[in-house]
Amino acid sequence: MQNKLFAGCDVGSTTGKAVIINGNGIQGKAVCQSEIDPEETANIVLKKACESIGSGISPQDITYLIGTGYGRREVPFANENISEITCHAMGAFSCLKDTRTIIDIGGQDVKAISVGDNGSVIDFAMNDKCAAGTGRFFEMMANIFRMDISTFSNLSLQAKKIIPVTSQCSVFAETEVITLLAKRKNPADIAAGIQSSVAKRCFALLKKIGIQPLVTITGGCSNNKGLIKALESKLRLPIQILPVDPQLMGAYGAAVFAMKKHLGL
Amino acid sequence: MGVISQIQDQIIYYQTWCKNYQNILKMPLRHGPYQTLQNLNNYPWLWNLAKVNRLLSMVTKGREGNYRKANAAVVGKIVPNLMNLLNNLVEDTDRLVLHEDMVPPEILFAMGLKTWMSELLGILMPIVDSHSVEKYIDIAENAGIPPDVCSLPKSTMGVILNKEVPPVKAIVTSNSPCDGGMASYQLIKNKLDIPIFQLDVPYNFYNERATDYFANELKRMVKWLEEYTPGKMDWDHLREICEERNKMAAHELELWEAIRQRPAPLAAEAIYLSHLWCFNITPGDPSGTELFKYLSDLANENIKNNISAVPNEKYRTVLWNPPLLHFIDLFSQAEKQYGLTLIIDSMSYNRQPFIDTSTKESILKGLAHIIMTGPMARHTRGPAQNYFDDMFYLYTYFDLDMIFVAGHIGCKNTAALNGILREKCRNKGIPLLIIDYDLSDPRVVSHDGIMQQLDRFMENIMNK
Repeated sequence: MQNKLFAGCDVGSTTGKAVIINGNGIQGKAVCQSEIDPEETANIVLKKACESIGSGISPQDITYLIGTGYGRREVPFANENISEITCHAMGAFSCLKDTRTIIDIGGQDVKAISVGDNGSVIDFAMNDKCAAGTGRFFEMMANIFRMDISTFSNLSLQAKKIIPVTSQCSVFAETEVITLLAKRKNPADIAAGIQSSVAKRCFALLKKIGIQPLVTITGGCSNNKGLIKALESKLRLPIQILPVDPQLMGAYGAAVFAMKKHLGL
Repeated sequence: MGVISQIQDQIIYYQTWCKNYQNILKMPLRHGPYQTLQNLNNYPWLWNLAKVNRLLSMVTKGREGNYRKANAAVVGKIVPNLMNLLNNLVEDTDRLVLHEDMVPPEILFAMGLKTWMSELLGILMPIVDSHSVEKYIDIAENAGIPPDVCSLPKSTMGVILNKEVPPVKAIVTSNSPCDGGMASYQLIKNKLDIPIFQLDVPYNFYNERATDYFANELKRMVKWLEEYTPGKMDWDHLREICEERNKMAAHELELWEAIRQRPAPLAAEAIYLSHLWCFNITPGDPSGTELFKYLSDLANENIKNNISAVPNEKYRTVLWNPPLLHFIDLFSQAEKQYGLTLIIDSMSYNRQPFIDTSTKESILKGLAHIIMTGPMARHTRGPAQNYFDDMFYLYTYFDLDMIFVAGHIGCKNTAALNGILREKCRNKGIPLLIIDYDLSDPRVVSHDGIMQQLDRFMENIMNK
């Protein structure tokens, strides 16, 4: 069993992620930009994850593979597919057994997930209708500030105050932010306003499912330190950072499921 | 399933199909070609209602044996009743009264009046054809009705604004069940310029004083109708109607007792569509009593033979709020895909008090009680606890596995309640799906969007 490889492949709207595990934990992982064709994304990211292990491993050597994410039905070699909500819950739970609430901020949607004491999903709420508060929204905002996303994510940490960004829609928020910049307001304060407005949206989503500690964050936006700070302030709870890259959590959860399914657990 | 059973199922379908078309064709035959063409011109929605036999395909598709028979019987009851109602477009129109769905039609029948429930088209048309009321919703919105008003009163207003309403002579309405519904009647009154009477349903209805008050309101309505219409109250006839209603309710209670069994012997439309039609449109009609007796017999026969309505029933649910009018086949798909059985809906669940028919006063009090404590009235007005108590009572009584709420975007009364409901269900460990959608308008959330919500729920929460 120790040598058998199990994998999860999360084909998201913005990135593809793959994690390969065995009985000793994570052996290989990869992230790539999503192609138009989900199958192509899956092929690329799986190949990369295999290469990260070395020793000539190929996707065909994986004993059990589970596809997840919006393109989960297109993952080649997948033995089955499981929803990303379920996989994120299992991934976060496998990293931290006390995880009870997850906010998953992906490229094009946001999900709040309530997790049971066995890693199952008790409830979930999602926003997949509006771009505001998603990774795409942050990309747009970073673009206005002429920054890359990682620099923009840290900008709000230097804020002296929060300038509220009140527009609910990402298009109107863009206009509002441009206006504020034109008025020569402090960019860090505006960035804090942006992070705060996203945190408010996440809070409303989390309230739907009930906020129970331990709260953690997954998805591509989990590296956004400004957002985490704003969320913690809104929740009045610390957000526990996962020991495995939170962006990989869907793929990791899928890999855990793959191992469990193979072992009949 | 054997070949003989399959043939029997096909026979059931085609027998009902033929009977329904016979009934549909009676109307043009009775009215003649000129009147029929005139009707189609004045009331273009007749084209949609002429497709009512579609309902038969929807409710029998994938259903077998007694379940199919039951659903076919429900449609077999609706079609001739509907055709009789459509006769009111041209016959005895001086007696035709427009009434709201919260006004007891028993009284109107007993007064020899012809009825036209104003919400009927808004309810029936999207069931028959998903997109059929979009036109009327747009007409209402273009006339200035706010888009966030419930689409049912909006479609009703659209019909009125487009001058497609039958030639009614008076309007009886109430202050229930919601602001949108109430507001629509002011527009209807202004547009039709005919006398209107509004019943005042008390807010706190759990006491004798409230029942007395509302019974008095009904008396006031009778007096008003006698003044403004040719109708005269025949108390003996009202007693007969209420006695018939009581018989029908008794059979419905037997049916409910049967569907408590796991797996359920009948489900979905056999339970909720039968109630929706027989108790709201044609109460007191002996054929309704016969239908419920038939349904109850079919259910008990299935129990005796250990046959379930849904083969491999895995999950049982209640649907809170009115059924998804433009997507009633949701549950036939859910049955097939997940073994998910719709046991009952909130609109069917009335505590069913029997009407004491011993005196005029007791009859009015009985009807008052039914209206005041009926579904929607009890759930969208009065304490929030009514909403939750009924839901959790049904959850236990019918041994359910989950609760579905049809989260109609236009129902502001229940929007706030659903937030509390989420918390309550979480605390009780009851899986809850609140389906985001619009009651009558599939452009808000499509059928695919609704199915996606169901799929996500079943996959993530029920692990299917």
